[in-house]
Amino acid sequence: MMSAITQTIATPTEAVPMSRTTIRRTDLRARGEPALWSLGGALALGVIMIIGFLVLVFANGIVTFIPKPLAVVTETDGTVTAGEPFRSELYKPSPEIIASLSPEWRERVKAENGYVSRTLYRTGNFDIYGEDFRWVPAFQAAKIEHPKNLSFFERMEWGPFVGTVKSFKVGGAEQAFTSLSDPKFIQVHDESRARAEEIRAIERGKIGHINHELETERLDLRKVELEHGRNSAEYKAAQDRLTARAAELQVDYDKFSAEVQKLREMNAGNTLTLAEVGGREKTIEFSALVRAYAANDLSLLQTLGVYFSRWGEFLADEPREANTEGGVFPAIFGTFAMTLLMVIVVAPFGIITALYLREYAKQGKLVSFVRISVNNLAGVPSIVYGVFGLGFFAYVLGGSIDALFYPERLPNPTFGTGGLMWASLTLALLTVPVVIVATEEALAAVPRSMREGSLACGASKWQTIRYIVLPRAMPGILTGVILAMARGAGEVAPLMLVGVVKLAPELPVDGLFPFVHLERSFMHLGFHIFDVGFQSRNAEAGKPMVFVTTVLLIALVTFVNATAIIVRNRLKKKFAGSQF
Amino acid sequence: MLSADIHGVFRYSFHSLENTMFHKFAGALALAGSFAAFSAYAVDVDPALPSYTKQAGVEGSLKSVGSDTLNNLMALWAESFAKEYPSVKIEIEGKGSGTAPPALISGTAQFGPMSRPMKGGETDDFEKKYGYKPVGMRVAVDALAVFVHKDNPVKCLSLAQVDAMFSKTRKKGGKEDIKTWGQVGVTGEWASKPVSLYGRNSASGTYGYFKEVALGDGDYKDSVKEQPGSSAVVQGIASDKYAIGYSGVGYKTADVKTVPLSAKDGGTCFDANSDNAYAGDYPITRFLYVYVNRKPGAKMDPLRAEFAKFVLSKQGQMGTIKDGFYPIPAAVASQDLKSLGVE
Repeated sequence: MMSAITQTIATPTEAVPMSRTTIRRTDLRARGEPALWSLGGALALGVIMIIGFLVLVFANGIVTFIPKPLAVVTETDGTVTAGEPFRSELYKPSPEIIASLSPEWRERVKAENGYVSRTLYRTGNFDIYGEDFRWVPAFQAAKIEHPKNLSFFERMEWGPFVGTVKSFKVGGAEQAFTSLSDPKFIQVHDESRARAEEIRAIERGKIGHINHELETERLDLRKVELEHGRNSAEYKAAQDRLTARAAELQVDYDKFSAEVQKLREMNAGNTLTLAEVGGREKTIEFSALVRAYAANDLSLLQTLGVYFSRWGEFLADEPREANTEGGVFPAIFGTFAMTLLMVIVVAPFGIITALYLREYAKQGKLVSFVRISVNNLAGVPSIVYGVFGLGFFAYVLGGSIDALFYPERLPNPTFGTGGLMWASLTLALLTVPVVIVATEEALAAVPRSMREGSLACGASKWQTIRYIVLPRAMPGILTGVILAMARGAGEVAPLMLVGVVKLAPELPVDGLFPFVHLERSFMHLGFHIFDVGFQSRNAEAGKPMVFVTTVLLIALVTFVNATAIIVRNRLKKKFAGSQF
Repeated sequence: MLSADIHGVFRYSFHSLENTMFHKFAGALALAGSFAAFSAYAVDVDPALPSYTKQAGVEGSLKSVGSDTLNNLMALWAESFAKEYPSVKIEIEGKGSGTAPPALISGTAQFGPMSRPMKGGETDDFEKKYGYKPVGMRVAVDALAVFVHKDNPVKCLSLAQVDAMFSKTRKKGGKEDIKTWGQVGVTGEWASKPVSLYGRNSASGTYGYFKEVALGDGDYKDSVKEQPGSSAVVQGIASDKYAIGYSGVGYKTADVKTVPLSAKDGGTCFDANSDNAYAGDYPITRFLYVYVNRKPGAKMDPLRAEFAKFVLSKQGQMGTIKDGFYPIPAAVASQDLKSLGVE
């Protein structure tokens, strides 16, 4: 490849001594010229496609969280629509509609060859309207205003609300509302949100621990039952233990429940009555309000505040409302954990295989056959690995593990269904050919003279490999691992079969023994993109989230790769000086 | 035959209700409509539905595998249920109704949401392993909508016309294959434009239900563009001006509109909305189901029983509205709770 390019570059220089007329006559058909142009063109096309793709994704992803102004449109028939202008397009109204227009508009439509623009407004208030987007054609918009007090409320449930604050209550007492930036309003909101967080922490943490302990005790009892039978003395003893422990735990449970109840009651008094543009009202608790801003009255600082607080929520929170709102933290964590686990499995496995094939195995027909098989493995469709992972890892291996180690939990499977471990192993299988091939190439590139030198000094074969060959091949091996990681992090199809789910309430790592739960299902950014893009109720609202999540996935893969590349470059530098 | 049966069951279940709860319910709905200015919600749940109260001693984990139409609804229920019981963990997987029966049979899932009733073969497989049939609860009402692009001037289609568009067998008695919009009475520049078809993949219960009810169990044309999700169908139609496709009414966006349908040629057309669905006027109304493994006579474990109760409660049915479907009437809920043995 390299020599071919050098040659094509070299060819024109050879032509220099020829007379000018000859050069002019041979134009594009000159030896090497077409190849040079097509190679350069192919490169340019590739770069343009990649840059175009990145620009498209980033341009759409970056702007999603910017708060947009709100408009109130009074239509010619008296309907009032309030919302964010989402996008506009030109369309051709039907002849009947054109006939019903005012003469002035008819002229304008005619001048535009029958086209007229219309704007899609994100009206929110899905609970009241039963829809959250609305198209308004330009000829129907009699008046467009941007009132300063019209605000955008992001709620925990039912999506956004567009309207104004009618009144708010603190501890059940009516308060005078001035603006959203009123310190009192902000304080009440912050306090309510803090209490809601506290409730969650108690329920998740303390009450969660109690339930976990109860569950463990119950499983222990079941284990005793399976081992000794229902009528044995051991079972009776265990049963008494469980009853005693349950009574203890119940006391704690009641205490925490009372605490939660108190916080709930405090929050219930802090409410907010909102009114939409048509006058219909809605009362919500402050704790159910994520954030509110007066969209047409934001300073630059406030705009940035909303923008970054949305990013913060997106990166750190859990998803809400069937994944269409809230954050993607569990998906980020899942993707990262799975990729890491995959590398831990695939790197040693691939490197050892390649070492044996290249350094120890007798080169012959069998080894060539193995090599061809490995190369072919790289071409197997990824979904086939998914099916294999489900059939072999989850059902056969996982089923056996369950029967051996978790009989008390059956018929509920523990390892006998998709989970983080099986997903990582499946992806490791999928990417192992990449590592093997890269490692073999890297090993082959270590000069024979170095091995011979080492052996001549009396080093054993393994010493030579360990101290001479492997360190020098390391950068090349790491390249293979990086490629494997990039492939693995972006793969979705097989994962859908072996453990990725739409909603996984628990992270695979938590504070409960044994802390790492490899059997759990997990969420994944790639699958999240598919889910939000093709499965969410409101495709329109989901589209921007697809771009944001894609930006995030690309950023994550770039981050992981960059780390690996930095490590590789350090290694390269380390051995650069020790070359002969 | 089967299709007529299933459709009949649906109509029957609603008509039999007319004497009991249903009129009351319809009245309540009409009332809510007339006071629209004061109503808090676009559609309301049946006030006769039981209100859910939290119980003690509910914990553990659940898994649901099945329909993708019900995917978001299950996720919404899981979220609200977890609010009541923070220590309950629910995992949701939705790749099509066809994936529910195997998951229930193998015990991987405790709940199997399906957008169509279980087929005979699937029930038999279940029975072979457990010795009894799985129990299905009706969890929501869906008007399976036929969507077109928002600018499409088509006013009304009969089921026979829909069949002639989507099917190569035309079992509903359509005389000719409908290939252009002009053949269904659209005039002007639309008349000569070809009909572009969108549908679901065959693992989907929506695919199966539409095939049975709208196509009279005929075969789909090869030119139907099969989409991986309900939302994908709507997105396809939104970007293709001459498209038509079917999907749950909950997936409607501002870029598409529903076509009013009539059961017979020349009959009255009814749009896909809650009133027409409840009255049984909209011809392809269906229940959405969640199947569970319940041994007859035995008591279900508290976790599953509470989840079922929650789904069929006022709070749970609020979720159906949130997801764009319609809540079930209280009479249906109490029937299904009875058949599950949780009252």
